[in-house]
Amino acid sequence: MRPVFQVTTDRDSAAWWERTGRGEFAVQRCEACGRARFPARTFCAACQAERWHWEAAEPEGTVESWIVNHQAFGTGDGEPYVVVMVRPAAVPDCLLHGGWLAAREPVGGERVRGVFTPGAGGLTLVDWEPAGE
Amino acid sequence: MAKRLLDFRDRTAVAGVGYTPFTKNSGVSTLTLACRAVMAALDDAGLGPGDVDGLATHRVGDSAPPTLVGPALGIRDLSWHLDQFGGGSVSHAVVGQAALAVAAGVAETVVCYRAINARSEFRMGGTGRGLPASPEVQYQAPYGFFAPPQQYAMYARAHMLKYGTTAEHFGRLAVTQRANAVKNPRALMRAPITLDDYLASRWIAEPFRLLDCCLETDGACALVVTTAERARDLRRPPVLVSAAAWGGGESHLSGGPADPATTAAAALAPRLYGQAGLGPRDVDVAQIYDCFTYSVIVQLEDYGFCPKGEGGPYVASGATALDGELPVNTHGGFLSEGYVHGMNHVAEAVSQLRGDAGDRQVPGAEVALSTAQPGYVLPATSALILRRD
Ligand SMILES: [Zn+2]
Repeated sequence: MRPVFQVTTDRDSAAWWERTGRGEFAVQRCEACGRARFPARTFCAACQAERWHWEAAEPEGTVESWIVNHQAFGTGDGEPYVVVMVRPAAVPDCLLHGGWLAAREPVGGERVRGVFTPGAGGLTLVDWEPAGE
Repeated sequence: MAKRLLDFRDRTAVAGVGYTPFTKNSGVSTLTLACRAVMAALDDAGLGPGDVDGLATHRVGDSAPPTLVGPALGIRDLSWHLDQFGGGSVSHAVVGQAALAVAAGVAETVVCYRAINARSEFRMGGTGRGLPASPEVQYQAPYGFFAPPQQYAMYARAHMLKYGTTAEHFGRLAVTQRANAVKNPRALMRAPITLDDYLASRWIAEPFRLLDCCLETDGACALVVTTAERARDLRRPPVLVSAAAWGGGESHLSGGPADPATTAAAALAPRLYGQAGLGPRDVDVAQIYDCFTYSVIVQLEDYGFCPKGEGGPYVASGATALDGELPVNTHGGFLSEGYVHGMNHVAEAVSQLRGDAGDRQVPGAEVALSTAQPGYVLPATSALILRRD
């Protein structure tokens, strides 16, 4: 089982986590140049504009990599669990992490779909499962 | 953008190196470790604390700063000091900044050190410390993903998927470095290992096994940086700082090239080689940051020793062994000598260029590359090119 690492959200990220709590996978969209970004922050790195809005996106992507964790880090019990690195379709120049919900291991490049899962500290996490199964 | 740089190529030198023993429990404070390593480095150079006017270190809230080490050794008038926040990615930047300070005349003799109880007090590879102030961490830690071996394993698999790098490639690297450590009296791990030993070692975070991971170590290492002219009058042969570069790279996770199989070292390398007026073919020996096996493989590519994607086969060919075309981590590296966060890589490079590396000496080594954490987790790295005088 995955261990619980306490994290605190911050003034940039709180609204993103609030949206996952409502079952929404959101990205920031720059209102000046239209570029999407993740994780949440105020400035667009492409054009330096501060104007942006949240935009709901499909929680879809492809598998970039994964690990099977065995070591009992933190509060972990040593039961293996998979963490997957996903390239989200909505923001393809970003990579994000999540749990893996299928019994089999992921396959490089496979299409996956986000699943909202209750996590520690009241956060709603985004885990991933194969898109076509 | 072309930059005007203070030309400090070969104007400064490493005049001495010093170590404490590497152990799993030093039994003393990091302040004590730092003082012992600083004194050892000064003794190596034939100097004393009264000759020192600069001190530099890096740390992540885990060690004694220059403002404690200076007074503890009776160094009263530091004209320059550096207390750099950061881990392995800035290890070589600390030495580079000391060289800059000396070249600029702000200080004449700077001792750079790193002192850690990374096994007995502050486990570097685990999760016992606070989360770093990176906005990306809060999107990772809730998924049970935070420890360095997990993060590097994730990037390692991305490289395996993209380029066909294999467990055998990682294993050959671990075996090769252990063979070097067998010849290094300082090394923590001196029993030879085989590829089968590697493959049989337990999983930490697949694709990483135990023998992919470096040793959490208690210990300290220090270097004396001074002007090349002064170094020539001291006890040891000077080793010139031909180039020092730091920075570079873009985030792997947000808005950069998002290529997890390439590091900030690829952006840094041309700047580094340009400063030295040298290229990868001129490098005789390389000490490459090896917190994990994979970090060496990706840097062999990103520093131009082999084509992109061929780091694994390059290692498996024997090229990085002591008798290969590019001996790498001749002390055994963090995997087998011990983990002092980068400073012991620079010290080993110095030793090779002075010709005092004993049984592991690379004959005729004239140019060495030494590198820092290549820019995973935080998008920055640092590196040095050193040269025999
Ligand atoms: Zn923009």
